[in-house]
Amino acid sequence: MTGHEQDLGFAPEHDAPIPYMHRIREYYQTLGYGTPYRWAHYAEVPFQPLKKPLAECRVTLITTAAPYQPGKGDQGPGAPYNAAAKFYRVYSSDTALDHDLRISHVAIDRAHTTAEDSNTYFPLPLLRRCAAVGRIGAVAPSFHGMPTNRSQRATIERDCPELLARCRADGADAAILVAN
Amino acid sequence: MSLAARHLEENGIATVVMGCAKDIVEYCGVPRFLFSDFPLGNAAGRPKDPDSQAFTLELALWVLEAAPAPRTTVQSPLRWNEDPAWKLDYSNIDRLSAEEIQRRRQEFDRQKEIAKTVREAPPAAG
Repeated sequence: MTGHEQDLGFAPEHDAPIPYMHRIREYYQTLGYGTPYRWAHYAEVPFQPLKKPLAECRVTLITTAAPYQPGKGDQGPGAPYNAAAKFYRVYSSDTALDHDLRISHVAIDRAHTTAEDSNTYFPLPLLRRCAAVGRIGAVAPSFHGMPTNRSQRATIERDCPELLARCRADGADAAILVAN
Repeated sequence: MSLAARHLEENGIATVVMGCAKDIVEYCGVPRFLFSDFPLGNAAGRPKDPDSQAFTLELALWVLEAAPAPRTTVQSPLRWNEDPAWKLDYSNIDRLSAEEIQRRRQEFDRQKEIAKTVREAPPAAG
């Protein structure tokens, strides 16, 4: 950086959102996997404004985290990637209860985070507090787990309709989806 | 998650995605996105930091309420670390030795086999 640029207060060049698609593509190509992954991509995006004030809405939570499964290996905190803990079907559980969910089956940033605090990826306790103080109308009766399936066809044709049916059965007006 | 958000939205349920991979979510295209410039795994705030978590969820609710149009991205003003060097590490092939690349190739193949076994097992009840 030249002295002139320093005067302008610019941030370092790499202080920008990580270019994940570029990194991951290069990573797997160098590892020897020829066909690059094709990320989902659409030109059109749907939009459904809230139909009523948020303080009257029933809100659900959607997660890629998995219930802790004894006997399926190290699931953290600080676990290496653990494919044995993956799941392949949408699941739902009671939002009134506390849950032990883990993310050892997802490619999180293991160099810089350990998944020691589930509130960083599964904010159910906090969402219940939002309902208690009237910020949202209510937490929907169930939260839902979405599989992290490499098959986009399975996600689109099987998991998304299943998720929608479960959200509708719960009367959810809105959904918060926490990605990993 | 982006595909799920789109499907719910198309069917009348308003959504907001909380995430850390800005390029991947925006490339798919979602109605509303709260982006935290944090390591993957921290889309709902910083570990052991309830204030950061509360602030992040409140921002997501605000995006849910106030987004004027699809593809609305709001970036959280929170910083993971004053030093942005952490952003250079994730899947950065330029930072790996030949031995490490070989080790990761073997580990990737091993995990893929495990995933295949899980996927082909009969689904659990419920």
